Amino acid sequence: MRATRGILIAVGVLGLVLGAVVLLLKQDPMQIVGVGLWVLAAIVLHDGILSPLVVLVALLVRRAGRRIPFAVLVIVQVGVGLGAILSLLVVPEIYAKTLGVANPTVLPFDYGLRLALSWLVIAALTALACVAYLARIRRSRAGAALPARPASPTSGS
Amino acid sequence: MQRLLSDLRRVVGAPARNPRSAVVLGRLLGIAFLVCFGTGLYSHFLQEPLPWMRFPTQPTQLYQFTQGLHITAGIACFPLILGKLYAVFPELFQTPPLKGVVHLLERASIAIFVGASLVQITIGLLNTYQWYPWPFGFREVHFALSFVIIGSLAIHIGVKLPIISRYWTKNRARMAERADAADVTAADADAPASATDAADAPAFDAKAGVAASRASASGPAAHRPARGLTGRLLRWIDGTPAVAEPGVDRRGFFALIGVATAAVVGLTAGQSFAFLSPVNAFAPRAKDIGPQGVPINRTAAAAQITAEDVGPSWVLSVTNGDRMLGLTRDQLLAMPQSEVDLPISCVEGWSQLAHWKGVRIRDLAAAVGAATGAALTVTSLEKEGGYRIMQMGPEYVSDPTTLVALELNGETLDIDHGYPARIIAPGRPGVLQTKWLTSLEVS
Repeated sequence: MRATRGILIAVGVLGLVLGAVVLLLKQDPMQIVGVGLWVLAAIVLHDGILSPLVVLVALLVRRAGRRIPFAVLVIVQVGVGLGAILSLLVVPEIYAKTLGVANPTVLPFDYGLRLALSWLVIAALTALACVAYLARIRRSRAGAALPARPASPTSGS
Repeated sequence: MQRLLSDLRRVVGAPARNPRSAVVLGRLLGIAFLVCFGTGLYSHFLQEPLPWMRFPTQPTQLYQFTQGLHITAGIACFPLILGKLYAVFPELFQTPPLKGVVHLLERASIAIFVGASLVQITIGLLNTYQWYPWPFGFREVHFALSFVIIGSLAIHIGVKLPIISRYWTKNRARMAERADAADVTAADADAPASATDAADAPAFDAKAGVAASRASASGPAAHRPARGLTGRLLRWIDGTPAVAEPGVDRRGFFALIGVATAAVVGLTAGQSFAFLSPVNAFAPRAKDIGPQGVPINRTAAAAQITAEDVGPSWVLSVTNGDRMLGLTRDQLLAMPQSEVDLPISCVEGWSQLAHWKGVRIRDLAAAVGAATGAALTVTSLEKEGGYRIMQMGPEYVSDPTTLVALELNGETLDIDHGYPARIIAPGRPGVLQTKWLTSLEVS
């Protein structure tokens, strides 16, 4: 493992150097500063804004949902997360279209409408999943509450 | 500082934020990165070949596939990288933050890795939207960052190899989690509650796990309660109910990343892969639209092609040293015609299979006495643009499916598709399928 690790790290350093050289050769200093700022901004946006927001939402959901079955909270969070990730990709697309397109075959759809419809579909599927889950636990609780039949005293638990 | 970090680490802790999640998602993300890197390099060298490079012309849809895969895998990286970063987020608050020079370098390499990866997939996506809100060149920086990312990926795997190996399979992960829990129990025998915490969310580093669980087990009693806003915030967080069912929480996390990856891929890959075209809801391009059912990037108007340029006086000049032919469109149409089904495959990932009819380029090269193995310099009428002059290697010149196309899908070529004549060759990026031809020169 030691040799493998050494080789991986050496290859990795070579890659970094190559990337830096390509950048230096192909971009002027102001452009390189621009790249650095973008990399920094990406870290700050993710670690400083997006991730704390996710932590906060998870806390708020748990506080607000004390009386709600935990699995239902999780299902709702999956639905919201899915919509959020889809929006992350599509909202810039909606904006890019407002800037004007080179020709009608570029960004041909009404992405805003489609995103709104997706949220509706996700909301409906999430609700369905919650209902299905609640029905299932109600059934299994009802099953467990039934008195055990004398013929098979060990079953039903 | 130390205390704030361990408080933060405790606060952001969650059942799915553990080494096993990081390994599972890291594997998928690593594969996606390697696919993007390989297909990206292929696309790069197709456009800027080194002198000795020759490329396959069969299967004719190779580039359509590799570049579709490049863009699709890039899109899949969004949910995967968000999931991976979610799993390792508590590591941001590791204590001590720096243990020495090597540790500093390691953390710096991870910062570069994360930042460069996020920028890479973001500018790649925005490029497919043809939106360029950055102060640098897209192609150059996308190319340079690919080496930075693959380099830091190799370093990352090298550094984390022991953890990766410990958590590679489900069984090994379970053993590792039990061992971590035992470590903690042994090291912290008077606080058995912390052992179950550690079992729920094993730490990335057993020693750090012990330290963290000691810190959290001894809890606020061990140090002064935090004052001010931080204190109030921590109390508010501590008053929040704990994750009731860690297993359900973990499954929800993986369900989210799985469904989100399937959704972003499924709803966009139809721009590249025909079988997904019916569910293409969000891709920046769609199949079967545009003049003659084929999408366009550069219109005749954008390339400043005038009606006069392509009027009756248009001729295609074919030269080989002193030998020169000037062919009108009618003369080209009078030559033996070939029909081929070839895709237009854009570097932006979209592609469109189409039916082309025209003159084999090798017949035109032979007409001016070009030797076998000759290459061509192809020039467009467009006034400016990086692809006005295109080099065509001998593998494409000699291929029987490479045409000077005159018709598209059974009709005279639309002016936006390169009327009077354009190139169509197998397995090349769309930017090299030169439109509005003016000359072919044997080189």
